[in-house]
Order: sequence, then structure tokens, then C-alpha cells
Amino acid sequence: MKKAKRMILILCALFAAGVFIAGTAEARVYLDIYGKSFKKITVAVPYFKSDKADRLQTDMSDLLNKDLDLSGFFIVAPQSLLDKEFLGEGVEKQEINFGSWRSVGIELLCKGKFQIKDGELIFEAFLYDTLDGSMMLAKRYRSRQEDWRRLVHRLADDILLTVTGDKGIMSSRIVFVGGRRGLKEIYMADIDGFNLKKITNYNNISVAPSVSPSGRYIAFTSYKEGRPNLYVKDMEGGREIVADRSDGMKVCSSWFNNSTLVYSHTAGKHSTIYTYNVATGERRTILQREGIVTSASFSPNGSKLLFVSDMYGSPQIFARDTASGDIKRLTYYGNYNSAPSFSPKGDLITFVSQIEGAFEISVMNADGSNQRVLTNGGALNDSPQFSPCGRYILYCSQIGGRYSLHIMLYNGENKRLLKFTDNNEEQPRFAP
Amino acid sequence: MKYFLVLSIVCAVMFAGCSPKVVQPTYQATPGQGQGAAVTTDTGEKDRRGDVTAEELARAERERLRMLDEKMRTSLSQQDIFFEFDSYAVQASELPKLQAVGNWLKQSKTTAIIVEGHCDERGTVEYNFALGQKRAESVKEHLVKMGVEGSRIKTVSYGKEVPIVPGHTEDAWAKNRRAHFKIDQKG
Repeated sequence: MKKAKRMILILCALFAAGVFIAGTAEARVYLDIYGKSFKKITVAVPYFKSDKADRLQTDMSDLLNKDLDLSGFFIVAPQSLLDKEFLGEGVEKQEINFGSWRSVGIELLCKGKFQIKDGELIFEAFLYDTLDGSMMLAKRYRSRQEDWRRLVHRLADDILLTVTGDKGIMSSRIVFVGGRRGLKEIYMADIDGFNLKKITNYNNISVAPSVSPSGRYIAFTSYKEGRPNLYVKDMEGGREIVADRSDGMKVCSSWFNNSTLVYSHTAGKHSTIYTYNVATGERRTILQREGIVTSASFSPNGSKLLFVSDMYGSPQIFARDTASGDIKRLTYYGNYNSAPSFSPKGDLITFVSQIEGAFEISVMNADGSNQRVLTNGGALNDSPQFSPCGRYILYCSQIGGRYSLHIMLYNGENKRLLKFTDNNEEQPRFAP
Repeated sequence: MKYFLVLSIVCAVMFAGCSPKVVQPTYQATPGQGQGAAVTTDTGEKDRRGDVTAEELARAERERLRMLDEKMRTSLSQQDIFFEFDSYAVQASELPKLQAVGNWLKQSKTTAIIVEGHCDERGTVEYNFALGQKRAESVKEHLVKMGVEGSRIKTVSYGKEVPIVPGHTEDAWAKNRRAHFKIDQKG
């Protein structure tokens, strides 16, 4: 615990230093997101304009505010701050008094106007830097009127891209396990909780979903035939592929490419890591050892295989060099380190570490150095996964006996609850 | 006199030769009927008692095994083998239960069972799935060492999916870290 506390202190100190340094830095360098820390930008999103009064004026600006807040990179100005002077203002550059916005501390201003024609929503968005009135983004979006939420998410992701250089996650979907003891199904939903749908409907235990990089396939383990078999759902057409029906425990942990999954199989004395190509049906043995071997994944460039093994008596994380076959132990702190997952760049690994009886989400460098603990709720945290952009970690947290999904920045800040159903929610995965 | 002697000898021989043939079938065919059997010799009575006792013993033994079998079948779900956290080694304290199940399986030769491996809620989902499998395998291995055919024992891991006790205390966790026996109905 001492070590954990010290890490948190160090993180806090780094953050404080970061704020100070960022405060004196050039205004036009918006966010150095890969630095240790960053300064949040204050953004204002006044109600959007339309020719006719419409609920979407407020619904859409509210949703954009929510998205920008969830992103962790912005301080969102409350609507109460925006008085009449601001609300009457137009959306074009020449209509805006940037000095007034600056005077209330607004750094970025997002304005929008829309019209609805035959059920089609046409939306124009503008993003301004109030420092010099420069236009950072001007873009037109079209969608069906009922898909306005997705339109706003696209805009939010574009704003993130403009300001941080990387797209956001607001257009992402989340695949997760929902349900209760003995009755679990796999679901998919937009990250804002809308468009919820069931991927499985077997009235049984279906768990451990893993989404292929393109989003076409979802692998999962289900007990629908009385024992844990490995299946793959083809989201194009809904076909279901049986990947492994042999004796023993089969769990898919990751995808090597768009059609090849990586799974662990424990039966008898051994555990085996296989790859399985869902297109060709080809199965390859990657690693076999006595005892437990599980949670296997390849680094993004394929040079390393990450896995968890109990070869030293308790779960620890190992990396095998693909070329040489050398196995290196990455975790030494504590008796329980498991569920590792690479960042998209392959420079970081997020994992679960037991600290003082609690299971906390941590990150370390790909070589096992520089371990940082990101959660400190003393709870049971599990299933961490980096977002495709690499800046967020999605995970599950059991608080008060209830499992729920959370997202945070990869440095542990801006922790947010994601809620989809009224049941327990666990084992989250990003889906494109 | 000579004739009488010869006659008596013939009779004696006849009776001696006949008596077992006549009497014995009577109590062999109807062993439960008292009167006819009561006139037979002492040695005959002893034989009869021995025969029935052996049979009753065998029957009692069969009954005892049947009772034991029934008792084991009905109590099988209470024979859970418990484990330490993050361990799949069978503890010494659990061996008597395991031996009882093994002895029963050796008697009840046509019975097939399923060993379910379960974990407490702590730790990661994926690792617990593997751990549950190893717990079931450990129990199977012990039973096989006792002489039970491995083909009669299936193993299934449920990870942490099906806790028997809902709480979040050490006590609840201890009850949930278990290998659970079930009769394999499919055989």
C-alpha cells in the first residue's frame, strides 16, 4: 500500500507540475496528450441555432457538452454562464465577439446551426479559438433526424481530433457481458448507452466477449451446450462459428488480426494457447505449458506474446519474444498480476494487480518497468482494455457487490461510469 | 430267521439308500416349511442354517451397498471439496470426502460424474476460468489415482460465474472456492 500511495503522490506531483508548465506554454499548442499530464481546455457550446425552434437545439448541445466532458480533455462551461449577450450571437466568425468569450475564461467556442429537411438533419459546426478568433474546424454533417446522437458523437470526435491530434471515442460502441448469476448475455451498445442490443440470447451463461479489430467478429464462451465452448458470431449475416468444442475450458482473449483469434485452452495437465482463423478454420498451437496459461495477446507488431502463467505459483505476466522464443517475466510486485492488454502503439500494458487485497487497474511499460496504479478504490477491478486511440482505459469495477463499467484516461484521471442496463455489467470491450 | 435277517438288511440298505433321496428334496424344495424339516437329522438342520445365513449376509451386504450408493447419490452435492485462494491443490482436510466419493465410484461401476470447478469472485475473470478447470482436474486426478476410470469423470469449469454463497466476505469466498460433484446423467 505504501508503494501504491507513493505512486499516487508522484502522479499528483507530476500533475501539479504539468499544470504549471502548461499554463506558461504557448496557447496554440493545444494538448500534449502523451505527456505525463496536461491542462484541460475550457470550452463553451451555446445552444445550436435552427430556423425553427426545435428540441434538438438544446438536446444536441447538451449531448456535445456531455461528450466533451467525458473525453477528459475539456472543462465544459455550464449553460448558466452563457447569458443573453452570448445566446443572441450568430455562428459566423464576423458575428462573434471573441473578447467577451475570453473575458469569461472560454478558450474554445463551438457553434452550430442545423435544418431538418424531409427527415434529414443537416448540421454545420464551427470551432473557434477565442484567443485570436481563428477557425479550427468548420464541417457539415448529415444524418437521419433520429440519428442525431450519432451525428453529435461524430462532431465530438472531430473536435478531439482537431484539438488533440487523435480521434475521440464517442462514436465507439462497447461490447460487454450483462446479467446476473447463472444468466449472462453479451450485449453491444453505443458508448452513451443508446442502441443497446443483444449479441447472444441463449438464456444461459455467455461470457468473455472479444471483438475482432474490424468489428466483424465477436468471439465468446458460452455454456449453452452444457460446457464452456468457444463460438464466434459473424456480425455480417449473423452466422455463428464453433471455434472449439473439445473438453476443457476455452476462452478467447484477443485477436491477432481481422480473422484470427487467440484463445487459451485448459484441460488435463496442460494449458495451450492457440490461434484460430475463423475464415479458414486453421488452428495453430502457439504455446503449451503445464498448469495455467491464459490471457494471451500479441503486441501490435506481433513481436511479443503476452500471457499470464502460474509457473511461479501465482498468476504473473510474461512476454515471449516471437523471434527468439525467450520468455521474460514482467511483473514482480505482489502475488497476483493478470489480464494484461497492450496499448495500440505497443508501448504500454494495462493489467490487474492485487494490492493490499484489492484488485487495481495498473499500467506498465512494455518491458515491465515503471508500474503505475490507476485505481485506488480498494475494489475489485478487472478487464482493462485500451481504447483504439490509446488514450483511454475501459474497465470493470465491482463496488458494493455490483459490477459496472468505467472509463478513464490512461493516466488514471477522469474516471467515469458507463451505464447500459439495470443489471450487472462486466468484461467490456471496445467495438469500432 | 435267516430270511428275516436278510430282509432287515435289505430294508436297512433300502432305507439307508432311500432316506436322503426322499427327505432331502423335501426341505430343499420347500425350505420354509417347518413340520417335514423338523423330523430331519441334526446335521441337516445345521446345513440349512448355514445356507440361509450366507445368503442373508450377501443380501444384507447388497442392501448396505445400495443404501450407501443411495446415500452418496443424495448427498453428492454436499461433498464439495474446498480450496485455498488462488490454489488448485487438494488440501489434506478435504481428502476424507474425496476418498468417500472415490470408494463409492469404485463400487458403483456404471456411474459417471461431472466435477465442476468454481472460484470466488476475487481475481480476474479469465484467470478464474482456468483456475476452476484446474480445481476440477485436481479432484479428477485424485479419483483416478484411487482407481476410478478417468473416462467416467468429466470436468467443467465455471470460473466465478456460479457462486454458491452470494456475500463478499472471507467466509463466503471460502465456500465458493470449491469442486462440486454431480451425477452425469448422460453417462
